[in-house]
Amino acid sequence: MWAPMAGLSPRLALPAFAGATRLCLWRSGAAAAAAARWKGVPARSRRSLSGFPPKLAPREGLRDLPPGVPRSRLESKRYVLSPSLAETVARLLLRDDGCDLILEINPGPGILTRALLQSGARVIALESDKAFIPHLESLGKELGGKLHVLHTDFFKLDPRSFGVIKPVVNSKLLFQELGIETLSWSNGIPLKVVGIFPTKNEKKMIWKVLHDIYSCTSIYRYGRVQLNLFFNELESQRMMANPQNPNLYYALSVLWQVAYDVKLLHVEPWSSFDISSQSVQQEKPQSKESSEQQVQQNLCLIQLTPHKDLFSQQLTSVNYDVFFHMTKQCFLKRHGKLIDHLTSLSPIDAMDILKEMDQDKNIKIIDMYPSDFKCLFETIECSKDHTFKWLYDDFMEDVII
Amino acid sequence: MSALRWGRGAAGLGWALWPVGRPGLRAEEGTLGGLRGCRRRSSASPCEQDRRRDWGHAELLEVLEARVRQLQTNSVSEVRAKLVDVARLPKADGSQSPRKVEAGNEGAALGFTSHWAQKLHKEKLVMQRRKQKLEETLQKENRKHQLRVEPQLLNRELADWLQRWEHGSPRSPWEEQLAQLLQEAPKQLSRSEEHGHTGRISKVRYEAQQQRLLSFLECCLLVDQLPLAHHVLVKHHSKLRQQRALTLPMYNTLLLGWARKGSFRELLYVFFMMKDAGLAPDLLSYAAALQCMGRLNQEASAIQRFLKQMAQDGLQLQELFTNLPLCKEDKAVLLRAVRKAEPTFLPPQPPLSSSKVNSSPLLKEIYSTDKPATYPKQHLPLETLKDLFQQQLSVEMATVVTVESVETAPSLTKEVLQARKTLQELRTRWEEELCLALQQTKDREAQAARKGRPSLFPYLCLLSEGELTQLMLQALQVLPQQGESLLSLAQELGMRIFNRHVVQRKQLSDEVQALQERYFKYLHLLASDTQVVMSRLPREHWEALGTSEASQDQPWPLALVVQLGKQLAEVLVQTVKMPSNLAQPQDTQKLIPVLYHVYSFQSFRQIGILKPHPAFVQLLETAAERTMTFEAAEVPMLCPPLPWTSPHSGAFLLSPTKLMRSLEGTIQHQRLLEGCPPAELHGALDALTQLGNCAWRVNGRVLDLVLTIFNAKGCPRLGVPSPASEAPRPSKQRLPANASPELKTELRRELARCLKVAREMHSLRTDALYRLSLAHHLRHHVFWLPHNMDFRGRTYPCPPHFNHLGSDLARALLEFAEGRPLGPHGLNWLKIHLVNLTGLKKRESLQARLAFADEIMNDILDSADQPMTGRRWWAEADEPWQALACCMEIARAVRAPSPAAYVSHFPVHQDGSCNGLQHYAALGRDSVGAASVNLMPSDVPQDVYSSVAAQVEVFRRQDAERGVQVAKVLEGFISRKVVKQTVMTVVYGVTRYGGRLQIEKRLRELSDFPQEFVWQASHYLVRQVFNSLQEMFSSTRAIQRWLTESARLIARSGLAVEWITPLGIPIIQPYHHDSKVSIGGGIQSLTFCSSGDTSQKPNTLKQKNGFPPNFIHSLDSSHMMLTALHCYRKGLTFVSVHDCFWTHAADVAIMNQVCREQFIRLHSQPILHDLSTFLVERYCSGPRSTNAQVVKLQEMLLSVPKTGTFDLDQVKHSTYFFS
Repeated sequence: MWAPMAGLSPRLALPAFAGATRLCLWRSGAAAAAAARWKGVPARSRRSLSGFPPKLAPREGLRDLPPGVPRSRLESKRYVLSPSLAETVARLLLRDDGCDLILEINPGPGILTRALLQSGARVIALESDKAFIPHLESLGKELGGKLHVLHTDFFKLDPRSFGVIKPVVNSKLLFQELGIETLSWSNGIPLKVVGIFPTKNEKKMIWKVLHDIYSCTSIYRYGRVQLNLFFNELESQRMMANPQNPNLYYALSVLWQVAYDVKLLHVEPWSSFDISSQSVQQEKPQSKESSEQQVQQNLCLIQLTPHKDLFSQQLTSVNYDVFFHMTKQCFLKRHGKLIDHLTSLSPIDAMDILKEMDQDKNIKIIDMYPSDFKCLFETIECSKDHTFKWLYDDFMEDVII
Repeated sequence: MSALRWGRGAAGLGWALWPVGRPGLRAEEGTLGGLRGCRRRSSASPCEQDRRRDWGHAELLEVLEARVRQLQTNSVSEVRAKLVDVARLPKADGSQSPRKVEAGNEGAALGFTSHWAQKLHKEKLVMQRRKQKLEETLQKENRKHQLRVEPQLLNRELADWLQRWEHGSPRSPWEEQLAQLLQEAPKQLSRSEEHGHTGRISKVRYEAQQQRLLSFLECCLLVDQLPLAHHVLVKHHSKLRQQRALTLPMYNTLLLGWARKGSFRELLYVFFMMKDAGLAPDLLSYAAALQCMGRLNQEASAIQRFLKQMAQDGLQLQELFTNLPLCKEDKAVLLRAVRKAEPTFLPPQPPLSSSKVNSSPLLKEIYSTDKPATYPKQHLPLETLKDLFQQQLSVEMATVVTVESVETAPSLTKEVLQARKTLQELRTRWEEELCLALQQTKDREAQAARKGRPSLFPYLCLLSEGELTQLMLQALQVLPQQGESLLSLAQELGMRIFNRHVVQRKQLSDEVQALQERYFKYLHLLASDTQVVMSRLPREHWEALGTSEASQDQPWPLALVVQLGKQLAEVLVQTVKMPSNLAQPQDTQKLIPVLYHVYSFQSFRQIGILKPHPAFVQLLETAAERTMTFEAAEVPMLCPPLPWTSPHSGAFLLSPTKLMRSLEGTIQHQRLLEGCPPAELHGALDALTQLGNCAWRVNGRVLDLVLTIFNAKGCPRLGVPSPASEAPRPSKQRLPANASPELKTELRRELARCLKVAREMHSLRTDALYRLSLAHHLRHHVFWLPHNMDFRGRTYPCPPHFNHLGSDLARALLEFAEGRPLGPHGLNWLKIHLVNLTGLKKRESLQARLAFADEIMNDILDSADQPMTGRRWWAEADEPWQALACCMEIARAVRAPSPAAYVSHFPVHQDGSCNGLQHYAALGRDSVGAASVNLMPSDVPQDVYSSVAAQVEVFRRQDAERGVQVAKVLEGFISRKVVKQTVMTVVYGVTRYGGRLQIEKRLRELSDFPQEFVWQASHYLVRQVFNSLQEMFSSTRAIQRWLTESARLIARSGLAVEWITPLGIPIIQPYHHDSKVSIGGGIQSLTFCSSGDTSQKPNTLKQKNGFPPNFIHSLDSSHMMLTALHCYRKGLTFVSVHDCFWTHAADVAIMNQVCREQFIRLHSQPILHDLSTFLVERYCSGPRSTNAQVVKLQEMLLSVPKTGTFDLDQVKHSTYFFS
């Protein structure tokens, strides 16, 4: 399952990991556990995770912290704080694929921003915390104006519920202002997004992103926007799961993989983002539980490139919610047989569908690859002689984002 | 190989012979949860199961033939004996048989014969005969001997004793044994200290199990399955762990059951078990034993000895007749037994419940006997009322009412007829299949019960299969197109079973006869042509006519209701099938399910939904059947309702109705009501009885007009919903092949929007259809709307679809059945009422409104004469249909020879102006506030919303001068309309958050308001509205804060907030943290949350936010009830919609006077101090009172807010207080 790693060219990967490890503060207890969990990862990429002596955290990362930002505020959020990680990310991002426009989410102290700019990218920084804005703006000036700073929360762009609570930024207006051009779906990548996926409301946010891409709205209106986001370890493992690691295989895995080409670019221990471990005076003893949780969490940089052929004659932005519903319902009973689920999904005879799909009648949900789900959906959509293809109904879905 | 097959075959035979359940299958279901279980079972169609049943036999033949082949190759000598062995096998337990068969067969394989053909033939014959015989005997045997009678006692000594008695010859007489048992009975319960270690949750679960078992036993008694109940009890008793869960009431239930049957042996067994469990017999146990003696006609000496024993245990003979909930027959037998021993014994007379008088000072006048009042009567003579009673009784006996739809009948095309025919055929088939499926379910449940599980079996026996089938088909009929959640469907089905069962039981006992006799006597009080000696309130009269028996029907626990309903829903899903193509002939086709079990994802929850196949929905639509079915309790009554006499007796004749409606599963209200002295509730009982005694009729002319519009595509502006076919349709244009995703998304949105609108329209339409059809059904009848109340005392009519509480349309359809001459001022009131309904002259005096009405008399008459074709003045009114009805009434009155003598049936309304704030202002004696809500006399009505808007404007100007930008932007935009909703809801606890949303909405509606400021402006405005209210209603806000804070502290101390209304109704807020109950197994495990579970901690947020509005509601309901009772005493017809009071035009002046007097009376009570005293008493006494938290609470409770200087008596002269 961790095959995507292999796709990373050694030329890029090696220096990247070397860079990361130089700075990595490693808590010894966690090392073994983490190594065990990453068994499937090729040794090359695991090097960043184990076998390094604990080092004191470098102070340089925090030098750039603007004076006005209260420390407590930092603690609830995560930022890329180590310059070398920033360098790695910048290098991973700015490969030669013709897109140097990068939208950075919540750059905070601007360490990654600096690295990106220095590597020659054009950067749009969307910062949700007002306190960082002046600092980022000065950074832009210092580095020659290829930075555009805006005070906006990326994850609140284009809310899907229409009961508007706060004034929000409309991506249409925003992109217009930024002069971002629309590329058609089959064309290249108009924009790369980089940032850390929020832990707060994580599930909600995931669903929002998925709805956005399948419905081709929000940022995806402008083409196949590539996401490069740090997710926590568990979530990223789930994202990439398939029948080979059934324990992590979920409805979301299917939806992610059908929509995107999911690649693991890099694994970085939590400590690289951890304010308290980066600063010397560690005053507040955190509750045992939370610090332990943090130790266990590596962050994984996942690259999500939308598939060119995501939309087909059958799966469109008009009926994608049926696909969502189908997948979710199937995974309600992951170990159940597909044939049993089909009776709750479609009034069409289950055997006919299976025959059409050329699948064994005993196939279980857990044995089906993401592409099989897409195939299933398309098979049912295709069936000609039925007026009612689905039992699904609009009211059965309630979008909460 | 062949041996194996033998084994399987024989096991199959055994299985086929098994009379009822199929244990193997059952076990399989147990492991299959959810989806898979469902589908598996659904695939087992009846015919397939028949095949399976025959499978054993078929297999057997197959095996025999295999042997033929075997014997052909070898020479067989002797098989017969072995085969006989095999044939006997099924007698053994199914699980054992394969092994034995193997052994037998091995032997068989050894011997060979040359005359194999003959022998085999003989064998076959023998086998068949034996098999038949076996089948017969086994069925008999199984039925009889499956159930255990002899208990297995855990106490060795006791067990020996039982053994000795059982086998001793000759047996000593049982009553001696009993006496001996009783003598040595443990004198106290020794069980209380158990399960102290278990946690709270497991304790709740444990209690639920106990409750479940008890109701299982009770239900077994009801359906005459006593041996089964005994069997389950014995099973539980024989295992130590399970025995601990058994309680005295469970044993007593069985004792009572055996006593009624007069079976002393089983009775004695139960006593043995009780003793074994270490439980001391209580009064009920003694009563049961005594009853058994009575039935067996025991000798006097035995009974005397028994009574002596009872006295030794400290139980009084009298108590047998007063303290126990026994039915009449039980009591009679009991008395016979006692009389035998003590011929002079007289059972004590039950005290008359009406002997105690309500002590509330507010009700003194109502219940004083000094000035006898003459209460109004119904306008109908005795014979008519008796007739009506018979009609209502037959309706309730039938349990459902079939009503004709008012929708235009479709032209009977071939298509329609065909659809109806298909539907009819399907239903006939389903009925049969459902009956069969139910029978199988029952068998399975019975099997489970035999294994000692308290299964659903007795509940399924309560109603016949036919009735259950009808229930299920009804549910199928009304299932909405988008489906219904399994949980609510299950709950509804379960409740219906319960209700029907209650009705049926009343029918079976002689209660109906007794009811009729009593009701006929009661009618003498109500009928227009009879007199009774004493003038009494209906409830008093009813109580004087006899004592009501305690209701024996405790509602079932919610978990049980849901489980039972779920079982039926499952049967429905699995059984009901239709051909995949309805157009083709049915026999040849594959069958597809009609119902699908699907999941819906809402937020992060999954909800199981039952959804009909779209083709079935279409079939129903095409068939457009003309009838609809309602439960009897959903339709208004055809005779005056039974007066309320207790928390669960009143209203409908047979259908059970609760005095206080509540969410299913909340029992604290009922418990509180039962716990309070009966006399304290008299105020509420009488008020509700009186509201229910108002006779209604349908306003036929309005109904006709509405129906015309309804059947001509409706008119949403007039509140007549259009059919869903009128819904906007998505644009038809086809998408170009290369449409952009954006366009597709837009299309998707549009589709969803259209679908949503269509669905909303459909549900509105259905709602209207129900209402209008019921109105049409009742068109030429007089009917009554029985009332009950919610947990704050607010009153509601029980029939849900057609009542006076609904929209403008619903109200316009109703008028009083009894008419009154308008009198000198009646016409004026009608005119004023009409102007009120238009909403045009809200700020003008009554005189001005009257003048306006005279001014537009032409329009009024035009509206009345040509409502549809004329100038349609009425259609522009705020409440068009009521306005139209009023126009017609005025037209008739002015054209009458003498308007004063014109008999009017029209209800005239008087509305409180912002009633919640009126109560607050009166509580706090706020002068400014009181003036703005019309507690003070004034020439023109005051409008609190305008006053608040003005105050906000003052604040805004100040801020604008100070240079606040928002304040400047808002110049000229602050109006009554912007603040109205927020002011109105502030009383009911709206928060700043909610208030801001309301204002935001209003601001968005203003077209010229700069929309980019909406967020800021709404933020600013809500703050100013709250400030203004603070300024104007300072004491009000203080009281609100005090109530909130008190509730917060009470809830924090772990208790729910309780109080008692000035009228004496006990109230408790049912807001707790959710408790989850799961019901596993079957097609889906259901989990329902109940916030009313008192074993959970109170939900502090809800308790605290809910207290102020709930308290104010309890006050306004008190005011309404007081007004109702006093109006009744003055002979008025009175009904209400919360703070809107209705009466005849002639009586408006009297009602207004009563309404003001009672408001003053109510608020002259030290309401807040009484509340404070009660709360301190309730929450700060006892051992807890030293706790720091409690001390803080006490401080808070004692600091009752100070009040202002408003003089309450001014209300008396305020014209616009209610207007």
